[in-house]
Amino acid sequence: MKAQSGINQHFSMSRWSALLALHWADNRKRYLLALPAMMGLLLVWYCFLTIMDRFDPLDEGMQQVTYISGLLVVGCLYASTIFAEFDSKAKAIAWLSVPASALEKLLCGLLFGVVVFFVVYNVVFYLVDIPMVRLTNELIARQHRVWPGGYSVGPSKIYNVFTGKGDDPMDQRYHLYLLSYLAIQAAFVLGSIYFTRYAFIKTAVALLLFVLFFTIFQSRIIERALPGGFRRGPFFDWIKGDGTLNVKIIRISPLIETALGFLLLYGIPPVFWITTYFRIKEKEV
Amino acid sequence: MVTIHNLHFSYRSKPVFKGLSLHLEPGHIYGLLGRNGMGKSTLLRSIAGFLFPQQGEIGVLGHRPGRRQPAFLQRVFLLPEDFYLPPMELRRWVTLHSTFYPKFSSEQFYKAATGFELPVDGRLDEMSYGQQKKALICFALATNANVLLLDEPTNGLDIVSKGQFRKVMAGALAEDRCIIISTHQIKDLENLIDRITIIDEGKILFDQTIDAIAERLLFRLSYDPEEVARALYAESSFRGNALILPNTGGEESRPDLEMLYKAVMLHGERLNKLFSLKSTR
Repeated sequence: MKAQSGINQHFSMSRWSALLALHWADNRKRYLLALPAMMGLLLVWYCFLTIMDRFDPLDEGMQQVTYISGLLVVGCLYASTIFAEFDSKAKAIAWLSVPASALEKLLCGLLFGVVVFFVVYNVVFYLVDIPMVRLTNELIARQHRVWPGGYSVGPSKIYNVFTGKGDDPMDQRYHLYLLSYLAIQAAFVLGSIYFTRYAFIKTAVALLLFVLFFTIFQSRIIERALPGGFRRGPFFDWIKGDGTLNVKIIRISPLIETALGFLLLYGIPPVFWITTYFRIKEKEV
Repeated sequence: MVTIHNLHFSYRSKPVFKGLSLHLEPGHIYGLLGRNGMGKSTLLRSIAGFLFPQQGEIGVLGHRPGRRQPAFLQRVFLLPEDFYLPPMELRRWVTLHSTFYPKFSSEQFYKAATGFELPVDGRLDEMSYGQQKKALICFALATNANVLLLDEPTNGLDIVSKGQFRKVMAGALAEDRCIIISTHQIKDLENLIDRITIIDEGKILFDQTIDAIAERLLFRLSYDPEEVARALYAESSFRGNALILPNTGGEESRPDLEMLYKAVMLHGERLNKLFSLKSTR
């Protein structure tokens, strides 16, 4: 059998561009409707906070929580629809029939689901966040509000989601949130092709089950293998202590810990994306 | 062009193909017939690379379909029975999809669309099922794919459009092209297909060209009880008995594919024996 192979069968810029144009044309209406919906939800949430908290409704901490929660929920919801074509046989055949490679189809999904979504989410967030923070600062200043006890309320700063500047110095490791988000979102990307129906719910349940399994594994299986009295600590530590300075810690080797840490931080999204690639290749309709 | 060897396929515990082998040549329009659930659509989807053989091999134009390489997908087009078209203008849809097919001819598309009286400036989501199907048929032809797989293409087409379908398909046949049509509406495709393949219980029950059928079988109406007794298959009608007889005298007749299909389903072995006996002479 003389099959054509070569790099062109995996990736061609012109074919990928055509695929992006096709994806945009197919989903343009949905995406454009999602923009005002996201802005509206954020606006309603900020209005609710402003009404409920008359002193400091949109401080940096609240902006951060809102940003991260929104990114996680909306990002994962969207990710679970990236390969939603597979929820119907007709759509799946139409999608698989497009003469583009599995890699091109994956990269198209990732460009829109990971990159474009992230940029758009940030733009939408600041389009609402900046005017709303200014508005609430003005409201507070105009009404001369003070904390109970006579402390004056200072104006809230715009939270910089990329540096964490303005927030508690201990909490300025923004990239960790972003990496966690990418890892969780990558699981939802895989879920969108793995589960043909209710991908979001099924992926969420699968992740919860995994976390549950991991926790049980650490606390029940590993703890039992250790000398008595050791309890699970943060990450890869097991601690035995009586609440005083007399604390004993069991740690895995620094090399393995560093490797595992690196994998957890940077390895999960690529692993899920690569799995998604193979899932696209092996998908049958 | 299409070679299937010892294909085994099953849906969970339900076997569909048990060692199916088939060889399809370019320059022919094949009619793929069979009862519901006997695997016609499964066969087409396997050839198109959307289902993978569990055992055996499929080769199409030198490719293994399951790899779904772009070069393969550009040359094989499947028109499924249930299809999806997005809500957008037909012209825009054609422009977006045609870029993927190097041999696509816009002229061919619009010529065929005009023949089908398609509203080419309309939106796909405002078209009827039949119109959408016609749009897909026109697109399939204009891709100039070497292998065209059509699953129940005449379902949903009106009588005039069925005639037009036969016309455009006959015009689309080329030396480097193989067209495979799976259908229940065999009457719609008479005078179009030049080879008939009947699958049943996961195997090829009958596979002959129309020329061979016309040469070896005689289709005629008769009141003669002796002829009725000799018939391989008989059906009574108000015009007399419609018969399929062995064509011993080299007479010319027009094969009635619907009758032939019924005859094969009832007396497949007997018919195949007749063909194999003839071919060994």
